[in-house]
Amino acid sequence: MTSIGFEGIAINVWLVWVLPFVGAAIIAAVARAGHRARDYTAVGFALASAISAATLMPLALEGAEVHSQIPWISSLGLEAGVLADPLSIIMTNLVAWISFLIMVYSTGYMHGDKDLTRYWFFMLFFIGSMQLIVLSDNLLMLFFGWEGVGLASYALIGFWYYDRKKDYVGVEGHIAGGIPMWTSPTHAGMKAFLMTRAGDVMMLAGMFLIFVYAGTFGFVELAEDPAWAIAMSQQNLLVPAAVLLFGGAIGKSAQFPLNEWLLEAMTGPTAVSALIHAATMVKAGVFLVARIGPLFFALASAGAFSVEQFFEVIAWVGAITAFLLATQALVNPEIKKVLAYSTGSQIGYMMMGLGIAGLSVNFVEGFTAGFFLLISHAIFKASLFMGAGALLHGVGSRFMNDMGGLRHHMKKTYVFMLLAGLSLAAAPLITLGFWSKDAVFASVLESGYTFSQPLFIIAVVVAVMTAFYTFRMLGMAFFGKKSRHIEEMEHRGHHVHDAGPRMWVPYGILAIASIAIGVIGFVFEADLEHILGEYLAESFGIQGVEEASEEAPLTIAPEGDRTWFGLNPIAAIASIGAFAIGGALGYVFYIGRQANPQIISRSIVTRAIWKFFYNRWYLNSALYWGAVIGPLAIYRFIWRYFESTIIDGINPALQQSMSYMSGIVKAGQSGITQTYLFVFAVGIMIIVMLLFL
Amino acid sequence: MAESYFLLAATFIPLLLAPVAYAIGRKAGAKSATWFSFGALAVSTGLMLIPAIGVYTGQQTVYVEQYAWGQFGNFGLRLDGLSLPFALIIYILCTVIALYSRPYMVHKVKEDLPGHGNGGEGGAAGVGGVGHGSSNDPSVHGSHAPPSENIESSSQATVLDTQQYVNSQVALYFALYLTFSMGMLGTVLATNLIQFYVFFELMLVPSFFLIAFYGYGARRRIALMFFFWTHAGAVVLLLGLLAMGFFAGGFDFDTIRTNASNIPAQWLPLIVFALVIGLGVKLAAFMLHIWLPYAHAEAPTPVSALLSPAMIGIGAYGLLRLWMELLAGTGSYEQYSLYINMWGLATMIYGGAMALMQDDIKRVLAYSSISQMGYILFGLSSESILGITGGTMMYITHGLGKAILFMMAGSIILQTGTRSMSKLGGLAGKMPYTAVIAMIGALTIIGIPPTSGFMAEWILFNGVLQTATAQMDPLRTTMFALGILATVLSSAYILWLYKRIFFGKIPEHLAHVRDPNWYITATMGVLAALTLIIGVYPDLFLNPITDYYSDVMFQGQEGVVLPVPSQDTGTELGVPPENTEQNSGGGVETAGAEEEGQ
Repeated sequence: MTSIGFEGIAINVWLVWVLPFVGAAIIAAVARAGHRARDYTAVGFALASAISAATLMPLALEGAEVHSQIPWISSLGLEAGVLADPLSIIMTNLVAWISFLIMVYSTGYMHGDKDLTRYWFFMLFFIGSMQLIVLSDNLLMLFFGWEGVGLASYALIGFWYYDRKKDYVGVEGHIAGGIPMWTSPTHAGMKAFLMTRAGDVMMLAGMFLIFVYAGTFGFVELAEDPAWAIAMSQQNLLVPAAVLLFGGAIGKSAQFPLNEWLLEAMTGPTAVSALIHAATMVKAGVFLVARIGPLFFALASAGAFSVEQFFEVIAWVGAITAFLLATQALVNPEIKKVLAYSTGSQIGYMMMGLGIAGLSVNFVEGFTAGFFLLISHAIFKASLFMGAGALLHGVGSRFMNDMGGLRHHMKKTYVFMLLAGLSLAAAPLITLGFWSKDAVFASVLESGYTFSQPLFIIAVVVAVMTAFYTFRMLGMAFFGKKSRHIEEMEHRGHHVHDAGPRMWVPYGILAIASIAIGVIGFVFEADLEHILGEYLAESFGIQGVEEASEEAPLTIAPEGDRTWFGLNPIAAIASIGAFAIGGALGYVFYIGRQANPQIISRSIVTRAIWKFFYNRWYLNSALYWGAVIGPLAIYRFIWRYFESTIIDGINPALQQSMSYMSGIVKAGQSGITQTYLFVFAVGIMIIVMLLFL
Repeated sequence: MAESYFLLAATFIPLLLAPVAYAIGRKAGAKSATWFSFGALAVSTGLMLIPAIGVYTGQQTVYVEQYAWGQFGNFGLRLDGLSLPFALIIYILCTVIALYSRPYMVHKVKEDLPGHGNGGEGGAAGVGGVGHGSSNDPSVHGSHAPPSENIESSSQATVLDTQQYVNSQVALYFALYLTFSMGMLGTVLATNLIQFYVFFELMLVPSFFLIAFYGYGARRRIALMFFFWTHAGAVVLLLGLLAMGFFAGGFDFDTIRTNASNIPAQWLPLIVFALVIGLGVKLAAFMLHIWLPYAHAEAPTPVSALLSPAMIGIGAYGLLRLWMELLAGTGSYEQYSLYINMWGLATMIYGGAMALMQDDIKRVLAYSSISQMGYILFGLSSESILGITGGTMMYITHGLGKAILFMMAGSIILQTGTRSMSKLGGLAGKMPYTAVIAMIGALTIIGIPPTSGFMAEWILFNGVLQTATAQMDPLRTTMFALGILATVLSSAYILWLYKRIFFGKIPEHLAHVRDPNWYITATMGVLAALTLIIGVYPDLFLNPITDYYSDVMFQGQEGVVLPVPSQDTGTELGVPPENTEQNSGGGVETAGAEEEGQ
């Protein structure tokens, strides 16, 4: 592994993230040349970045790495650099191509918006920042990208900053725990920024701890010399530092307990939501874990100490989030929010996979599972979001109740969303979602971790819910009768129809890809596992079980024979079963409409549960009371009774005490002779008495 | 005598040309006065840059010009890694804001003209305590001046025409402005205690008049309060300085530094107390901040933009120079740093919390300045080179960021006539340039890359954490945690400010607001570009600062102040002795691996 300067293929690596920034920088100037030129430039830069990313693909397949550094902050001995290893090359391609498709989609979706220049600026900025996260070779530079995506998401979530009612999210009038549950775009942007900032603060603390001990931020340098990690683990600081770093991922990836911002983030244009959920922002956290997970794992085995708690935290945070958000997705009426909940939930799965990797005998398997799910989720979720955007465009409402029966009017959208939705619901054997989710199941089962059973049960339950809410969403949008809203629209002469090709082609491509790759899913998975296994062995010295068993033939093979397409039978049965149960329920209620979903309101128990889920477990309310209203009340108290009375009272008090004292002094200078004589006489008398007594 | 006179010229050109600026302003109008003052300051900045480049490239670590000054010792001007960032930022800001002043001050003077607007309301502001006077609605267009003040000027105005009056007022403004700039620069370049004090007070006088003549609300009262508090602080400081000089046997910095150990132990706490309180008033540290929200909110906005970022930070410079550098030999720094650290933390959180309670843009920014000064104190008292460097970087970044935000406030006042956020909203579409640049300023204050704010903050907090881990001190660790959480508070008040001004629905009466003219947007833009450049390439400032701190200021004090962690030394921290050998072996290996890499 060598590090090179700015030369050869390394230039391409730099270009991948620099190009979007260049595009962002010039977009305002290009806009003067006309709208068409501006739009082409924006998409062009995204494409150029994607092509540079594609040129790196052969490297990943060979298992090669490029590490290029240039001087940066010389006074602190820090260098800027990019690191293109198989992990980041696969990720960078995923980000680049999905972003490019979303940019193409945007030309249709955002057509005619008066602030399109600002839109392109932040979209390119977003992509560039994400690529910077992926390709950076050190934590400090990664943090530049990290905050860059935060900033871009803030700007894009609040893109429609004039806060029109139609851009709000949430049901107007819905109040939970005293907190209004519908928000304006700018409020949502601010919320996202502040909540992710809370995670970023943790991440910074973790980074600093590591820097204090290691004197470097570089991933390669950190992996080379475990001395710092040994020193830290002797003081019990390594796991806290690692968990703090993971805190950043919790914030960015909207994991429990910093999950609440993700839902309000739906105020942004749908193309932005697609970008946030599929390729950038929330995936940044997962990628960070994929970056640092092997590092800590390898350091621990090199230094003979344990970082198990770190991976346990990851796995459990993932499991809790997956469950929490899946329950909420069951009941939400807004199509984009259902998708948002599902993103959070799916990311929980990814975290579970990446976390379980560090707890199991075979690190490679869990790691591959988590990363595979990241890839497949990016593909089908981008497709679903763009499809949802087309629905919003066609129907003019974000509520699924306002849709219904659209399969005849929006055929293409219907087909593509169905395909991508099957992937989300993990329809067996032919979808990407199935293979990747099954890989997570298998890795949990085979991990040998003490609490792998509860984790597995949570995972299966979540899978049932996933299948259910996916069918619910598809059913409410495309099946059943037309809603009153649509009838009114038709009455007024608006006919709902499919969006133009600039919109449906991008999500069509992704939807088909999710099935096409799904059909050969097991091969894909095996290849991915091979590439990642080599990468882990090469960069961190983490051996997969296969390699290990070659060296030591007596090693016991992991339990659970992988025979049928390389599937773990229990995991496969569980995931097929989950799809069947969830899918059947969803079908009965929302597609076939044999049963009316209103039945839950008949029993007080189910109704209470429904309300609990619908009010988001009251987490949002707790958040507002604890972190916004509470502190503000305290500050107001201090403001009123300390700053405004005591501190501001110092001046008048000084002034009055001065005038009071001057009054006393003045009294002695009245100019009345009798008083002077009287005082004089008294004085004489006192002196005389003193002298004689 | 010195061999070259760059700094002497840079310092005194503005002072000498102040009367000329006044004369030009009266004769030829505001525009000429602006460009003349701008020219004078630009030339001075240029002159300062010549030795600055020498310091930057490392040709001379310290550049000094000295002149005999009778009994006081030497009158000197010194540019080194410590004064360079302060001096540069002060002059850059002064130069840029000189241009910005023109449209703003012309507007302000016209607004104060007798007979203009509805001057009746402002009278109330003069009555009652300062506190309540100025928090009266300061924002209604044209009602800022108490009528009583205009008696003299109204007789003038009947004789002279309006233009003449405006010219003379703006001319006076620029004369005072130039003197103010000189005072600030002189303070940070001084090499002698008495000289330091003289300049310290010299910057106070013109700023007093600037507020009293051109401010808002109960401006005379507030100017007086500002003068009173900072002067009282300066007098306390003077006592400390005199005691230092007396015990050390001379007022020159060099003398004091060499003889600092002569200071008797029982006097040392008193001296440190005097320095900290005296400079703390200037810094507006918690409990000593009484004057700041008023002065910053009611000063004319270009002056706020200088007061807040440039002037109050000089308190931090004073602490660095007078306490941490000159008294380094006495051991007082490590003795008291923990308390200063706590004080900084309290200032940081308190300022941020109070900023959330304001409705007046300028008052939010004023409280934000208090909070940012807390960051600086927090960094300075961190006992690590990184932290102190971060504190210094914080001055730079706060200087740029806060100046941008105050200029944004000025732009809003100019275009909308109000600075009350409840009357604003949705201006992002109407004033796009202001909005974009203000966003960069906002990010600088929050500390988001790629602005300089992030560079300052990460270095600062890293230093604090370094000390906390090295000392294994739970108190310092807790303070680090609270401090870094306080950055969320900063983000909150800044974003909320931004949301209330630029987002949401536009009030009807603001439907025709536009961006101000280029004097304002361009000057803001220059500062915004600067913060981005420093944010991406901090070496511009960092190099001289860290070099000076580690090679000169804290040389031989490794036990007191922690060095910058590097890959070879980082792991030595806190490792039990038996492992040292193994670790140093690891270090060598790493170094070898690096060489291979290259």
